[in-house]
Amino acid sequence: MPPAQPDNAEHAAELLAKVASEQSRAAFSELFRYFAPRLQAYATRQFGNEQTAMDLVQETMSNVWHKAHLFKPDRGSAATWIFTIARNIRFDFLRKNKHRQYDLSADDLWPVLAETNDSLDDDYALDDDLLLQQLSVFCEQLPNAQRTVIELIYIEGKSQQEVADALQIPLGTVKSRTRLALQKLKELIKHDD
Amino acid sequence: MIKFHPSEQHLVLYTAGELSPAMLMMVGTHVDMCSHCQAHVRDIEQQLARKLFGDVEKQPVERNSSLDEQAMLQAIFNSQPATETGVVAANDSLYLEGNHFKLPATLARNSHRIGDWSRLPGKLWRAPVTVGGEEMLNFIYMAENASLPEHTHKGNEATLVVNGVFNDENNEYRDGDFVLLDNHHKHSPATQNEDCLTLAALEGPLHFTSGLSRLLNPFSSLFFK
Ligand SMILES: [Zn+2]
Repeated sequence: MPPAQPDNAEHAAELLAKVASEQSRAAFSELFRYFAPRLQAYATRQFGNEQTAMDLVQETMSNVWHKAHLFKPDRGSAATWIFTIARNIRFDFLRKNKHRQYDLSADDLWPVLAETNDSLDDDYALDDDLLLQQLSVFCEQLPNAQRTVIELIYIEGKSQQEVADALQIPLGTVKSRTRLALQKLKELIKHDD
Repeated sequence: MIKFHPSEQHLVLYTAGELSPAMLMMVGTHVDMCSHCQAHVRDIEQQLARKLFGDVEKQPVERNSSLDEQAMLQAIFNSQPATETGVVAANDSLYLEGNHFKLPATLARNSHRIGDWSRLPGKLWRAPVTVGGEEMLNFIYMAENASLPEHTHKGNEATLVVNGVFNDENNEYRDGDFVLLDNHHKHSPATQNEDCLTLAALEGPLHFTSGLSRLLNPFSSLFFK
């Protein structure tokens, strides 16, 4: 047993910093051994289903691994940050069970893992005042393959990876279709003005 | 100065994600506008996290055989970071009747859910906000010197002032004020010489109680389209 446990807030924050700066597997493993069993106990109580509970643990801890750089120690403790990630994943699990595409997603409410700058790189960001309703008219004019990708991303809110998985096409293809479709949309909109 | 806040219970349920989608939007928008409740939500997050992760002694963690730590660690190390979801750009501008309103962050992130505005009798405008769930969420805009006939509700009504001021028999409500009325309250909201943009979550249809306005009961269906 190491002298400082991750339940010591300062120690947990240091471990997260190490994961962020040097992808330290040792630091992450220590966090994992502390948080994963507790998350599992919580999720098993919540869902009453072992597999769903395991999925919640894995998805939460994967986010901790990949998004440690988004942890802001001045905003709260590591445990609090991990709690908000788990809360969001639980919220989306419960929502997805209902198969309702217009329902709010956790990110709509609590953008815990939003990259403040990189999330909307120029290729994918649309003009601020462009509403989806207006877009749908122009989307009709896209080739089918491109329209499907745009609808999945912008209307259903799927990630590009999720779209690739759903359509069983390479991620690169999704990216190029998105880029082409957005170019086309921008042209159509300009034309319309 | 915000005078009316969501209850402690609302803030806890909001932080846990256990309110209806409409109420999550209402409380979330209030929290955007209210530094007091922002600090409160941060405290609640901390308490919930402590409840989840703390107190190992009191709440022994059963070593569950289904959690193969080594395998899951490997799976995580081998996984790819998820690409960003929710690429719909936030839009914090709302234009209505020649007015420009700046939307708080929660609404800006969900501006694509705001439907078309329709005009109602009595200098009122309404736009639905589609969030799923049983409760209806609507923007209600009242021009100057507008009034809603006195009514009660079959369920609860929550109103949040996004911009402007309105009053009822009891109080005056300004930017950020969050008002919850249950089915015992009768009230007739009105504006004076300022307009008012509100967000309203309704659990059940409006039911008009006073005199002639009872004839307006079909009007309540306008809120529920
Ligand atoms: Zn408040």
